[in-house]
Amino acid sequence: MQNALLIGLSRQVALGRELDVIANNIANLNTSGFKSDGAVFEEFISPTARADNFLIPDRRVSFVQDRATWIDLSAGALERTNNPLDVAVDGRGFLVVQTPRGERYTRNGGLQINSNGELVTAEGYQVLGESGPITFQPKDQQITISSDGTISVREGENAATESQRGQLRLVSFDQPGMLQKDGTSLFSAPPNIVPQADKTSRVIQGTIEKSNVRGVVEMTRMIEVTRSYTQIATLLSQQADLQRSAIEKLAEVPN
Amino acid sequence: MRALHTAATGMMAQELNVQVISNNIANMRTTGYKRQRAEFQDLLYEYVSRVGTQTSAQGNILPAGIELGSGVKTVGTPRLMSQGELTQTGKDFDVAIRGEGFFKILLPDGRTAYTRDGSFELDAQGRLVTAQGNLVQPSITIPQNAMSVSVNTQGQIFVTIPGSNTPSQVGQLELSIFVNKAGLQSIGDNLYLETPASGAPQNGNPATDGFGNLQQGFLEQANVEAVSEISDLIAAQRAYEMNAKVISAADQMLSATSNLMR
Repeated sequence: MQNALLIGLSRQVALGRELDVIANNIANLNTSGFKSDGAVFEEFISPTARADNFLIPDRRVSFVQDRATWIDLSAGALERTNNPLDVAVDGRGFLVVQTPRGERYTRNGGLQINSNGELVTAEGYQVLGESGPITFQPKDQQITISSDGTISVREGENAATESQRGQLRLVSFDQPGMLQKDGTSLFSAPPNIVPQADKTSRVIQGTIEKSNVRGVVEMTRMIEVTRSYTQIATLLSQQADLQRSAIEKLAEVPN
Repeated sequence: MRALHTAATGMMAQELNVQVISNNIANMRTTGYKRQRAEFQDLLYEYVSRVGTQTSAQGNILPAGIELGSGVKTVGTPRLMSQGELTQTGKDFDVAIRGEGFFKILLPDGRTAYTRDGSFELDAQGRLVTAQGNLVQPSITIPQNAMSVSVNTQGQIFVTIPGSNTPSQVGQLELSIFVNKAGLQSIGDNLYLETPASGAPQNGNPATDGFGNLQQGFLEQANVEAVSEISDLIAAQRAYEMNAKVISAADQMLSATSNLMR
């Protein structure tokens, strides 16, 4: 009879985790380039007692275990901002960012220029081009980023000459599910996952990829989580009642 | 329960977002105002089980781990320094910049500030000043008896003096450009200050290499687009509400647990 309590408890722990995941998704409803997380549960079957110890085989008890969270890498909605330094990646590609901890990957294309003229993320990390960081000159005008990521500017008298400042490096992964979230809109790849140059993705200038969190879906999941949590709480209290009445009944001393 | 705190970060971020949007809308008719945008990023993750961890001696690895995020943070509110619309005012000392560059303004404390707001006036000594009375740099004095003042696209200022047919040049307006315009610090009054992030200013004459040209009798409007601000406002408000719902859901779950004890 104790098992029912423990099984209920395992489900509640898992539901608590799932709510944490949902809360993080909803908190990032407006974070550019954010990819939502989902939770996966599995059945954990407790090991049975050895069969030859008992006449009747022991019943197997199954618990709930949260096995994994997975990243939903589907594209978010594209918002037109008309800011020349906003880029969205159409396809599976990621922008490559140089951080002090090594190369990281991002879909958040809200880029900036720092005081050295380098193209950086909002955090100030360099965005890498095919040949290292991309640097602009102070007098560069009309930055245009073509769909293959080539960055060109107009310079000189009356902005007559066009020059190139580099090409954004786009990479994709064979197993994007292995990517890890690193916070600050960045993803990191485990050492055995090698980024591959992505020639199929397109860069769209003047647009930004919004978060792919769907508010309605998250709300529904949240209601589901709270309802099942309350149901299990009811179940647990019924179990407790059952135990109490059993104890009372059994302990009753006949007159 | 972590969800409570996660949702709280979400509510704080959306509150800030609404604050930024409301400032944009409030400055919709401010000359030379550049709209701001709140940029958000996700916070650190807790790895309950790491992806790629070996699950058996045979070398099986976890295809996906458990990552629990802890919410959202605001990383910055950069300004979008795009060109605002020019509107004709017909006033002699209204000068708009078309293209790159900022006017240099001398603050009373001796610092130099930068502005896109070219609604200038004259002070008692005939010097060109901003609406606040701060001197435009380099200092330009218009003679008392000047009949007409004209500013050309290169920033040269000509006046016509009674008794003379040819206009004479009395000054030259200069512009400053920055590598990272978005890195300028706003100090109100339509003024910006140089920061380590913006880089040092480069000065030059309008309509030369890289500098914008000037338009007399025009003012630059704010680059705020009402429609996109309002739609951002709706999105921010709904996101705020959803975060509040997460808090009440977490609360409901906690109370279900505490009601177990009777």
